[in-house]
Amino acid sequence: MSEVTKDKASRLLKKRGSMSSVSSPDIKMKEIRIRAKDSVSTVSYVDEPSHHDDASRPAVHMENTYQLGPGKCFPVDAVNHILKDVLTNYLQEEKYEPDLCRQMTKTIAEVVKARVKDLLIPRYKLVVIIHIGQLNNQSLHIGSRCLWDDANDTFASFVFRNTSLFALATVYAVYLE
Amino acid sequence: MEEYQPHHEEIGFNADEAHNIVKECIDAILGGVDYNQNNVNQWTAAIVEQSLTHLVKLGKTYKLLVTCAVMQKSGSGLHTASSCFWDTTSDGTCTVRWENQTMNCIVNVFAIAIIL
Repeated sequence: MSEVTKDKASRLLKKRGSMSSVSSPDIKMKEIRIRAKDSVSTVSYVDEPSHHDDASRPAVHMENTYQLGPGKCFPVDAVNHILKDVLTNYLQEEKYEPDLCRQMTKTIAEVVKARVKDLLIPRYKLVVIIHIGQLNNQSLHIGSRCLWDDANDTFASFVFRNTSLFALATVYAVYLE
Repeated sequence: MEEYQPHHEEIGFNADEAHNIVKECIDAILGGVDYNQNNVNQWTAAIVEQSLTHLVKLGKTYKLLVTCAVMQKSGSGLHTASSCFWDTTSDGTCTVRWENQTMNCIVNVFAIAIIL
């Protein structure tokens, strides 16, 4: 009976195109689930957010720390520098191609997130958004509004341009209260 | 053993509700209009502000990030990706894609829970 359910689970996962693997020795899938302390890293290629992760882990209730503000404030300049670095390195010589850029946006998003995480700023949640588009004399407007605590939360962004494409990278840092 | 989930306490972000709210906002602002360079600024600002106000009216304790991209249809490509470092049980995201004959509109909503 358990074999049937495991097969069903693997089929469901395959349909959604998600790369997070079911940790079972029977199923031969690429194991890319990295356990780092309490975090699980999953690379998902679907448009809708996958909900199967949420159902498996119960909500964690945290104890009150009585801490009113962040000990270390978010280094916007360092993050701007990271964004500039990553975008220039990955896209300097590239020409716009649909398949390449599709992959590139996901890769760059993961790389930027990993590098900002390496700064080890405690109690900050991160949202990284990357837009890569073709330069074709068309017009594009990107705007954002945030409802947050202005004292603690902030963002960093960088625009990169070359002859055939443009890239916009934005990192939002939200303090965990 | 069934776990009792109290109805008034919803675990996680309700993406469907947010999707509907945002779609209604976009329809109200961009429904039936053609791309116009002069108005785009106003449109993006209006979409984002209205979505934010309606999402806040849901009354949940979330910090919200709403992003809107409006692009003229000219045959060129645009790729968008996002990567988030947060608690997947309490935080969530929702993306709404909308288009008409002259333009494309993409709205992303990110909701991060505040723990009281």
